[in-house]
Amino acid sequence: MTNKTTHFGYEQVAWSDKQHRVGGVFDSVAGSYDLMNDVMSFGVHRLWKRFAVERSGVRRGQRVLDLAGGTGDLAERLSRLVGKDGEVVIGDINKAMLSVGRERLIDHGICDNVRYVQANAENLPFPENSFDCITIAFGLRNVTDKSRALESMYTVLKPGGRLLVLEFSKPVLPALKQAYDLYSFRVLPLMGRLIARDESSYRYLAESIRMHPDQKELKSLMEQAGFEDCEYFNLSGGIVALHRGYRY
Amino acid sequence: MTPASTLAAALETALELYLKQDPGALQQCAKMDGKVIAVDITGLGLSLYFIPGSDGIRVAGYYEGEPDTRLRGSPFGFARLALGSREQGELRSKRGRPGVDALFEGAVEIQGDTETGQQFQNILSGVDWDWEEQLSKLTGDVIAHQAGNLARKAARFANDSGNTLRRDVSEYLQEEARLLPARIEVGYFLEDVDQLRTDVDRMTARVDRLLQARDTKS
Repeated sequence: MTNKTTHFGYEQVAWSDKQHRVGGVFDSVAGSYDLMNDVMSFGVHRLWKRFAVERSGVRRGQRVLDLAGGTGDLAERLSRLVGKDGEVVIGDINKAMLSVGRERLIDHGICDNVRYVQANAENLPFPENSFDCITIAFGLRNVTDKSRALESMYTVLKPGGRLLVLEFSKPVLPALKQAYDLYSFRVLPLMGRLIARDESSYRYLAESIRMHPDQKELKSLMEQAGFEDCEYFNLSGGIVALHRGYRY
Repeated sequence: MTPASTLAAALETALELYLKQDPGALQQCAKMDGKVIAVDITGLGLSLYFIPGSDGIRVAGYYEGEPDTRLRGSPFGFARLALGSREQGELRSKRGRPGVDALFEGAVEIQGDTETGQQFQNILSGVDWDWEEQLSKLTGDVIAHQAGNLARKAARFANDSGNTLRRDVSEYLQEEARLLPARIEVGYFLEDVDQLRTDVDRMTARVDRLLQARDTKS
């Protein structure tokens, strides 16, 4: 276990170090995360998230866990859907991201059905069968042990519940792929430097996207963790994919 | 992303702007908190889901549950529903309630909780968007007011020329081409038909009476 390594962007780091290094990246970008997302994706990330929430099928009175919920984008929409009788729990490993999200949601008047938990997705601190739905948007690629995280999500999900993973993936159109490469390795770090004054963190974001399993690999990871009826939807030509699986 | 999701996002933003102008409408939205209204636009194969709440109306392109109310109609039908009820005040005395007519005439079909559907329609048609005020924030009052005058003149011109065109066309069809009868001619014709019907009725009664008289004699 001690010699085991994993990737941190294109860099190989000790297995136990990744969590700490990722923590450093998000501590650094938390303040300007929303702005950067808008600039980087030309605002399209809002449409991706909206699509994910629509496909979550969440209804009034349900209990939802929004993992890597950071700045509360998904939770804001989800809290509206579950209503006063339901509950949205925002889980994030990073304290800085959680507090930015909490401030933001309180400013929007959303406080009575949202809870915050600082938690590691690999060891979710909830009893079995706790949630009707789990969402994780742009978070899974930063988790060191993805299989373990998926298993942990499977455990806390109620039978009949569903998991939605929104994550960067592999573009399916060849022409798009070239433009996308140029964009993520040249333009993205430059924007990171200009807007967030943090080139290296944004270089990590671009690299970590490339190291993340593609559509089919992630689907099979979900199936290995026990999820059934797994499927994925390519968004924006596969730049982002939404995976959905059920626990029965 | 489906076109419905993208359209839903755009509609939601527009509604947000729209509702900000009208605290009354926002209160009505809050009363409908938790309701889901589906709008099926036939012909386009498009369904949108409206979820009102205290902070406005959320719009979704996909919803898995069963909505409380479902409105189904063609784009034209919905346009009539929306426009009709906006003109309701001024036209009620002339033509009844056009917005409701669209419902009754089957242009828009309603399923489920009709009261929710009606409330929802009232919210949407009740908001009168003051775009001149919005424009004035960008351009200043003077330009916005001039633009407003121009738009009002254009609307008046369109309305007047529309009326003139309608009059001219009906005059041509009725008087020149003689393809359609004038209203008064139709009136006379219907009166004649009525007269003929009563005459035939009287004749039938008379023949019946004569037959009866012959039968009793023989």
